[in-house]
Amino acid sequence: MKKKINQSLFKTDLQRLEEISSLLDSSELDLEEAISLYEEGIQLSQKCLKTLTEAELKVNELKSKIDLTTDDNF
Amino acid sequence: MTETTLTVSEITRLIKKDLEENFSSLSIVGEISNFKAHSSGHWYFTLKDSDAQISCTMWRGVNNYVFFSPQDGMKVIIIGRITVYPPRGNYQIEVRAMQPAGVGELQLAFEKLKIKLQKEGLFAPENKKEIPELPMKIGIVTSIGGAALKDMISVAKRRFPLVEISIASCAVQGVDAAKSIASAIHLLNIQNEVEVIIVARGGGSLEDLWAFNEEEVAYAIYNSIIPIVTGIGHEIDFTIADFVSDFRAATPTAAMEILTPEKEEIENLIRDYDDAITEKIFSKIEELKEQVSSIVNSYGFRIPVDLLKIYNQKVDTAVYKLNRNIEKYLSERKNKTELLTSKLSAYDIQKTLAKGFVLVKQEDKFVTRAKKFQTARSHTLIFYDNQITLNKNYEEKN
Repeated sequence: MKKKINQSLFKTDLQRLEEISSLLDSSELDLEEAISLYEEGIQLSQKCLKTLTEAELKVNELKSKIDLTTDDNF
Repeated sequence: MTETTLTVSEITRLIKKDLEENFSSLSIVGEISNFKAHSSGHWYFTLKDSDAQISCTMWRGVNNYVFFSPQDGMKVIIIGRITVYPPRGNYQIEVRAMQPAGVGELQLAFEKLKIKLQKEGLFAPENKKEIPELPMKIGIVTSIGGAALKDMISVAKRRFPLVEISIASCAVQGVDAAKSIASAIHLLNIQNEVEVIIVARGGGSLEDLWAFNEEEVAYAIYNSIIPIVTGIGHEIDFTIADFVSDFRAATPTAAMEILTPEKEEIENLIRDYDDAITEKIFSKIEELKEQVSSIVNSYGFRIPVDLLKIYNQKVDTAVYKLNRNIEKYLSERKNKTELLTSKLSAYDIQKTLAKGFVLVKQEDKFVTRAKKFQTARSHTLIFYDNQITLNKNYEEKN
């Protein structure tokens, strides 16, 4: 589970960015909150863009050690 | 003609020899019935036509090479030889190879399985899992050496290189392909690291794609906890796997395209957010500025300013009054001083008069010089004790 969270950091960041955008629409925010959200959003967007630019496709082949032992269950 | 008496074993041996020698390589067409795939891996079935039937066996290992699952009613062509089993005294065909009697047979098998699985609910829309919108980890079930894999990887690389791909390699045709595909799907489910699975194979004939029409693959897809997108063959090819999968893409590359956004799209999305939040924070600040200024301009906030004005005015008035009073005070003092000064100087005159000096006054003015004395007018002489006024026409004596 922990592994999964790490793996989708980009997605989490992107979702947070979306969330910040809608949070900034709410009028209940005070200025400090709004500014700190804004800063967070800008940082996230820069980070996401950087991640995208630097991304290199990761391909790995699963070794089929498991499937032999589980064939019967399937 | 003498009859030779033979034992059962002897005659069986003769029959066995005769049959096995004479029917060592046969090609027979017939319809499968009573098909049983034993857990040992061997197949047992009967081949029949309208008037006759013959028992068949197909051993494990050999039957691996059959690309389809035989079904009762399917017309097939088998290649094999006749063997005799002495303990039972029966003969059977040991099958070496099996082919559908025609493409029509496969179509038939396809339709039959399709109907069966449909009845079981394997194609039901309500059983379809949702395809994740932006999967970061994609599993691929295909042949590691296939062109389909290469194509899919290059699509991913070009469109969204942030995605991570796990390949569960499998055979996609021939020997045990269905089992291999099912295992690969199962493996990805056990590992449970990918968000979506692509089951793919490049184009080929109906026979080439047949593994994807097998029940085993259909169930593996149906039972997968991870959503599955199929991209099998070309646009025109529909397999059972396509019907069961959660989403059918026309080709392997189409499957990858569906799951990966164009990098630029995501970049634009991020930039849009960037712009949006910047705009929002500025309008927020503007809004707060307006709030502040509306408070500052409110009646309550004006009171101190008004008070200040009032006090200013009061101070001004006070200063004005003060100035005026000071002037008044000063002028009063001045007048008093002048009065006293004149009194003081008058007192000096009295003293002089007492000594015997006399002041002369004409028309209320002191006559201080002889040339100013007018003889034609009356004049008053002021002595210390009194004054005497003399009439005019007083003649000057020279």
